[in-house]
Amino acid sequence: MSFVQCSGLKKTYSVGGEEVKALDDVSLNIEHGDFIAICGPSGSGKSTLANVIGGLDQPDQGSVMVDGIDLANAKDSILSEYRNKKIGFVFQSFNLQAHETTLENVIAPLTVAGVGKKQERRERGMKALERVGLSDRAKHKPTQLSGGQRQRVAIARALVNDPQLIIADEPTGNLDSSRGADVITELKRLNAEGITLIIITHDASVAAQATRIIEIKDGKIVERAGTK
Amino acid sequence: MKFIDQFRTGLRNLARQKLRTSLTIFAIVIGAVSVTVMLSLVTSTKSFLVSSSEKIGMDTQVIVTGTSGLNYRESQWIGPDGSGKKIDADVLAAVEKLNNVQSATLYLAGSMFDSYKVDDQELTMKNVGVEGYTPNGTIKHILIAGSELSDSSNGSGVLISSDLASDLGFKGNETALIGKDVSFHYRKDMGPPDAPKADEVGKIIGVTSSDRGSVLSVDLDWAVEFQTWPNPQNNQNNQNNQNNQNNQNNQNNQNNQNNQNGQNNQNGQNNQNNQNGQNNQNEQTQDQSQIDRMGYGSIWVSVDQKKNVDGVLSEIKQLGFGAAAGKEEIDSQSTAFTIIGAILGGIGAIALLVAAIGVVNTMVMATLERTREIGIMRAIGATKKTIRRLFRVEAGVLGFTGGLFGVILSYGFAIGLNQILNKQLADSGITDRDIVSISPQIALIVMLITTMIGMLAGSLPARRAANMDPVEALRYE
Repeated sequence: MSFVQCSGLKKTYSVGGEEVKALDDVSLNIEHGDFIAICGPSGSGKSTLANVIGGLDQPDQGSVMVDGIDLANAKDSILSEYRNKKIGFVFQSFNLQAHETTLENVIAPLTVAGVGKKQERRERGMKALERVGLSDRAKHKPTQLSGGQRQRVAIARALVNDPQLIIADEPTGNLDSSRGADVITELKRLNAEGITLIIITHDASVAAQATRIIEIKDGKIVERAGTK
Repeated sequence: MKFIDQFRTGLRNLARQKLRTSLTIFAIVIGAVSVTVMLSLVTSTKSFLVSSSEKIGMDTQVIVTGTSGLNYRESQWIGPDGSGKKIDADVLAAVEKLNNVQSATLYLAGSMFDSYKVDDQELTMKNVGVEGYTPNGTIKHILIAGSELSDSSNGSGVLISSDLASDLGFKGNETALIGKDVSFHYRKDMGPPDAPKADEVGKIIGVTSSDRGSVLSVDLDWAVEFQTWPNPQNNQNNQNNQNNQNNQNNQNNQNNQNNQNGQNNQNGQNNQNNQNGQNNQNEQTQDQSQIDRMGYGSIWVSVDQKKNVDGVLSEIKQLGFGAAAGKEEIDSQSTAFTIIGAILGGIGAIALLVAAIGVVNTMVMATLERTREIGIMRAIGATKKTIRRLFRVEAGVLGFTGGLFGVILSYGFAIGLNQILNKQLADSGITDRDIVSISPQIALIVMLITTMIGMLAGSLPARRAANMDPVEALRYE
């Protein structure tokens, strides 16, 4: 049984009174440890697919099962726990809390889940920061970090709960090529450690590093063979 | 998410918008102060009045009057005016026999003097009442100096209310008045103009609180004397007697001169004169005591226990007399204070309502400003419930902080108010001080209410935040 099983996913948005099909009968399986790149032009539905797999959104029709959890019909508490325990999100704009320190940002998923005592959370946060090489920036505010560093903090936050799947939506979109490459290297390293990785990207060079590329156009999948 | 983390997060979020948070809290502080001070002022004053009334036994006091339908206040200053049923010693005896009556006294009130004099100071007695009663413990005062009337005060002891003591220049030094002679000068319009009474002279033995107005209290027997005036008819009779006597003398002279049947005439006239004299004597005795004719003003009764007051009241009414209980006055005062409290509390509640609108406004702003944060929290696993609670706790913290500062400020206000009131109380000769007190219960209730109001006001914005679509929230710029 595949880690991610999507079948007949449909999702329609109403934009300015006009209905837009973000997902149009999308079916897809992803295995444990896969590194998937989802590509496609803007508005093609790639982010919607990632959000549905990540439990941030639910399809209008179809089913999506991740690690045996029926996300299409799950209630808020199940979806929230799923996002907290099994998924780590990495966003293009980092989405760090500017008023919190690096460490506080990293341990936020643990705080939300009510995990252990503060000290225990901090220790786990520091370990996550060590994994991305930023333990010396624990007390810095995000504004005191470079773009690449901020994205690594976001990766550390995604890692802190030992997720099975990391979904990175345009993780290099706001970075220069050098720093973007560092981030992809970091993500690949995590994938090598066994974490399933889904990257949404416009960047062909990033997509080229995935084991499998899924191209979406007008809400439909145009799958290409894995590059590696 | 643990409550302590929600609390910490709430505090931190509030600290991010210091000015807005401070202004919102300030509005709650105003509401909390209004409610706390007004409620405390009313409850403190109410309990002060009730305890003061109980100190003088007002709660177990009943006033019996000849006229029915008078309330306690109206019954207090009834003088013998001849209206209604006559109040006299027989009525007193009947009342004293009633169950649960501890003591009772006949009572007289009047204003028969136009001035009083202490040392060399002569002051008008306009609006000053003179009351008389038997000092058997039925009528009690709040004493500022000296002692109550008693049998040992030789019938001419005088209690003077503190406002009169102030008029005499003894404010704050009331004790110095004790032992001083006081003389009362009768009004010219009282009694027959051709038979003015000499000033009455007594000795001040106590200074009382002026809570019952400007009043001088004396022994009943003496008060009866105040209201006893020679009947003009007596004067006429006296004159007649004198004339008769003169006539008699003339007659005697004539008899002596004429020495004819004089003896018989003389005897006859003497008999007649004697008879006239006897009649005059009898009439004069009756007229001297107009109290006997018109009766006393009222009877004051002390009931053994408060719970027996109603029973005594109804028994007196069954005797055909009017009866009013002091506790009715206390109750009506309490009711008045409860109404005032409700009105003032309502004003405070309006202030809190306005503050609550401020909280709603602040929290709505916060949800808009933190839309992206809400999206992030949802992405990392926060449930709708967690988001809802976060905002509610934050609003609750606003309410609690406002309530806390409000209560602290209220304690300050209470100290200030007490300083003003203490002066007023001292001026009135009342020894009680610091009557405005904020009870810990009121303080806690106010803090609880402001916290609840905060949380309630934060509910709508909290629900709005929780129901945000996380995907939309993450896209929010």
